[in-house]
Amino acid sequence: MTETVVVGKDVWKVYGSGETEVTALQGINIAIQRGEMLAVMGPSGCGKTTFLNCFSGLDEVTRGQVTLEGVDLHSMDDRTKSEYRARRVGFVFQAYNLLPVLSATENVEMPLLIAGVPGREARARARAMLTELGLGERLDRRPAELSGGQQQRVSLARALVGRPAIVWADEPTGNLDDEDSRQVTSLLRQLNQTYGQTMVVVTHDATVASSCDRTLRMRDGQFVS
Amino acid sequence: MATNPVVGALLLVLLVVAVVLLVLAVRHRLAFRIGLRNVYRARGRTVLLVLGLLVATTIVSGSLAVGDTITQVNVHYTVLGVGLNDEIVGNQSPSGTYTPFPYSVFTALSAGTAGDSSIAGMAPEVVSRFSLFDRTSGVPQTNLYLVGVNGNQSRQLGNFVADNGTSIPGPAPGEVLLDDLAASELNASAGDSVLLYGVSATPTPSVVQAVVQDNLRGAFPTGGVGDFGTGFVDLALGQRLANLSGSINVVSVTNVGDQANRLALALSVSATLNATLAGLPAARGLTVDQVLVGGLETADSAGSSISTLFLVLGLFSIVAGAMLIIGIFVLLAEERKGEMGVLRAIGLQGRELVYSYLFEGAVYSAGSALAGTFLGVGVGYGLAYAFGVLYRIPGLPADAILDSFTVTTETLVIAYVVGFLLTLVTVLVASRRASRLNIVRAIRDLPEPPPTLRAYTYLAYVGGASAVLGALLYATTYQGASDLSYPILGGTLVIVGLGLIACRFVQNRLAFSAAGAGLVVWGGLEPLHRALLGTAHGGGIFIVFVEGIVMVTGALLLYAFNSSALATAILRVAGGRAQRAPVARIALSYPSRRPARTTISLAIFALVVFTLVGIAATGATVDASLGATLQSESGGYTFVAYSATAVPDLPELVAANTTVAPYFSHVVPLVFGGVYVNVSGYAANPYSDDIYSAPTGGAASSSFYSTNQFTFTATAGGVSASQVFAELSSDPGVAIVDNSYSPVSNNLATSSSGPHPTVAPGDTMLLTNPLNGNSTRVTVIGVMTQSLVSGVFVSPPTAATLGYSQEKVFFLTLAPGASATRAAQVAKAAFFPYGLVVLNIADLLASSIASTEGAIGLLQIFVGLGLAVGIAAMGIVALRAVVERRREIGMVRANGFTSRMVLRAFFLEYSFVALVGIAIGTGLGLLIVWDLTQSASATSAGVSTFAVPWLNLALILVVAYGLSMLAVAEPCLRAAHLPPAEAVRPTE
Repeated sequence: MTETVVVGKDVWKVYGSGETEVTALQGINIAIQRGEMLAVMGPSGCGKTTFLNCFSGLDEVTRGQVTLEGVDLHSMDDRTKSEYRARRVGFVFQAYNLLPVLSATENVEMPLLIAGVPGREARARARAMLTELGLGERLDRRPAELSGGQQQRVSLARALVGRPAIVWADEPTGNLDDEDSRQVTSLLRQLNQTYGQTMVVVTHDATVASSCDRTLRMRDGQFVS
Repeated sequence: MATNPVVGALLLVLLVVAVVLLVLAVRHRLAFRIGLRNVYRARGRTVLLVLGLLVATTIVSGSLAVGDTITQVNVHYTVLGVGLNDEIVGNQSPSGTYTPFPYSVFTALSAGTAGDSSIAGMAPEVVSRFSLFDRTSGVPQTNLYLVGVNGNQSRQLGNFVADNGTSIPGPAPGEVLLDDLAASELNASAGDSVLLYGVSATPTPSVVQAVVQDNLRGAFPTGGVGDFGTGFVDLALGQRLANLSGSINVVSVTNVGDQANRLALALSVSATLNATLAGLPAARGLTVDQVLVGGLETADSAGSSISTLFLVLGLFSIVAGAMLIIGIFVLLAEERKGEMGVLRAIGLQGRELVYSYLFEGAVYSAGSALAGTFLGVGVGYGLAYAFGVLYRIPGLPADAILDSFTVTTETLVIAYVVGFLLTLVTVLVASRRASRLNIVRAIRDLPEPPPTLRAYTYLAYVGGASAVLGALLYATTYQGASDLSYPILGGTLVIVGLGLIACRFVQNRLAFSAAGAGLVVWGGLEPLHRALLGTAHGGGIFIVFVEGIVMVTGALLLYAFNSSALATAILRVAGGRAQRAPVARIALSYPSRRPARTTISLAIFALVVFTLVGIAATGATVDASLGATLQSESGGYTFVAYSATAVPDLPELVAANTTVAPYFSHVVPLVFGGVYVNVSGYAANPYSDDIYSAPTGGAASSSFYSTNQFTFTATAGGVSASQVFAELSSDPGVAIVDNSYSPVSNNLATSSSGPHPTVAPGDTMLLTNPLNGNSTRVTVIGVMTQSLVSGVFVSPPTAATLGYSQEKVFFLTLAPGASATRAAQVAKAAFFPYGLVVLNIADLLASSIASTEGAIGLLQIFVGLGLAVGIAAMGIVALRAVVERRREIGMVRANGFTSRMVLRAFFLEYSFVALVGIAIGTGLGLLIVWDLTQSASATSAGVSTFAVPWLNLALILVVAYGLSMLAVAEPCLRAAHLPPAEAVRPTE
């Protein structure tokens, strides 16, 4: 039996006002099932990242309703939303967004610590996750000492270590070469299948999209297919 | 202005720099345009930069302005105090008394110099002390200065001016002219009936002829600040009051012309006077004191000393300012890294980038130096206000300093040029580093690779050169009396050099941690200096600057190479909960893993707090040493008293007086007299000084030797104080001296015969009574700790041999439970005819300490300005951090950080930096003061009781920490309120 994890109803996002007003999302309606791996594609400026931000709780919607695991995002204050993100959501970004002053292990254990997991357990889980992603030899390296692909794997490990309900990935292969791209895509798919986590991947990359269960295309703030 | 060579040289340097910049601007127009564009395209940042850069100039300008003002005040009061007495012929001892000589000396001197057209005139005078009772107002006053001078002979010195404006040629026979100060003390006015008490207890009735202004003629260079005023009588009455029948003790000489002319003639007139005196046997021992010249030189020197003190203490803030400039440019370079990479990629030469920074820096330097110069003048005015109003100088009107506030053109030029060049040089150093970037790394914002082995080899060579240079400097200066800062610098270069060599072979952390620890120990341990360098080295306050910089550098090296370990240790010590706390983890990770940037902020805080704490701890130590100082200075007595007239048996008189007796448990009289002191090898022999001896025969007098508690810094054979006094009481061949004779004394006392000689136990000195020529040779058996009663203590037979038997100095002990203030008043009133002045020793020291505390407070305010540097640095770093870490902030927000957690992380991070900087500065500030208390001169000066100024420390901590948190508040709030969706975007 499938369970709907993300529901969006008539979701609008408008930036600015007057002459500078830009409508980034125009009445989006969507339902994403648990364990689904969904790709969102579209040209630059079509609203992909805005969709990710609004549906993941990083940004507010202008109108409409976004429900994550049955909870209306609009009803959450900043604190509750932060706690929800800490426990139930993972992120992967194009630029990795690792904390440069922390080692790979410290970066990965950070969401666990934020979620209140005891330090020793957080450290063990972070190391295990990094080892699983092939970084067992680089646990104590800092981001500057890792290649782009390795950094993105650390980023993936950070997103998945807390076993979140949903992982949002924004152009996860945008900064990677072909080989690293293939590895990361493969890992995403493998982790999705292993852990059954819902993954929403915003991408330009058709190869990434082809490995997903479903692909939605956006244009001018709307899903067109 | 043109006559000042320093100003001329600085202007020349400024001109050369300006021309070079102009030529470079013409030849590198693109770089010039890029540099200028950077200035005006971000005006807000330009203002911030100029504010950050102007600190050094402000400190230079403020220090010089304070110096100018103090010089001006001193010149003003010197000219007033000296009056028209350009040269004084006489022989004045350190205690201020003039030795009498026959009137015939004046006659011969006058005749011998009659042909010198530079001399406007000269007057024979009697200068002494007297007491006066104003029968009309009912007010008595002891210890007034007495000047006996004939009106007809003093006319060439100018007329007195009465308060009503009347011109008075001189004192009328039998009457007394009182200056404003004396009249004020006595509540006297013209026509008052008065009684005059000279050396005799029998009063001389007189009348106040007039109250005259304290200017020019109505002044005499007697004691200056702190006296009770002067009374002028005719010469005959002066001689009678001073018991100098047929003798005088001063010849006052006035040169022709205005002040400048009189000053210019001083040397030739002195030469004429000296030549004439040399041919007069009766004038033996008389010297020519160039009062006007000396006074103005002292005024200038006092101004320079204060400027130097402020400048040296301000040097820490100047170095902190330079660190800020480097920090700002490092941040600017990081911010513009991508832009610079692109410029290089499209063909801009690397040196063009340096030039663009140079031009940009030159604009900032010119602007900040100008602003700093005038801000410094404002700071100088504030300090002058504080000097005059908050911290009153005894004897000076409250508004005297503020009224004399002066800023010379030289000050403005020096401050501007020095500030401009200092800023420009720092900017150049910072920009050269900034321009050496790898194009690809710059464009892609990749981190710099670790240094290569070749780089470490190069560092080892630099280290080798540094170590050799340091060893040479140390080897040539560690012995002897050179400035202590030279061997300390030598040792520092050796330690730094060894660290650089070591980093080629072992881990950086090990090499530089060892060097850092070595620098802290080397800079901060006086016992180590004493053991290796001895105690003969000289040097002034600049040593504190050198030691401070060495210690702070060492501590910063220790931090920079152990910051991660420190952060880990803090997280561990804080316990499991803190270790888990992601806020603490992030907050401590940034400063500990970006040590270069953090170290700049730390250095600024550490330097400024070091100076502030050092000054505060010095004040506390002086305060805490009061007890020890009181013990050593007082010898266990409560009062020291002086009488104008010999008191035959004060102990008996006190015992017999039922009003006075209950207030005193002990009275010790001392025979007092002036002597010439000849010390073997002393260049300016003979030195004029005073002798003291407890008279024999009376119960009280003999008890001096057995009951006093005076201590010694050195005794012959290391015997105890009681053994020294026992020997002194009976052996006519020995003497003891006060601490101003000690080689490590800070006493700067001089007499008209020259600087103070120094002696050690075992040395001999020849003592001669200048009045009768009697002389005796004594061997020094002890150097006392006290210098309150300065001179030579001899045995009763020696005093008798010299011809002295009058008891004029006394030590008194307060009876248990009695009021010290009341006791002094009672004694003064009871023995007024003797002109008894009773001084509470504790009050004297407390007054001196209050002055020190006032000065310390002012210095703290001045140095505290440097905190602005630390606060600016923190604010600028925080502003940049928000921009740099935008995506990281977004990421932690995405991972569940609330905005409050981001705020806490930022505040915690800057708290850590500020508190570590404050801790380093506080620790080293306390260490250097402890260090100073261990020195021989501190022991000699009685300030060896180290004390921690807890309240002051708390204030420094609260102000420094509080202001730095205020500075980072806005960037922290901005970081906390960054919308996560915007923050995670790849573009800034």
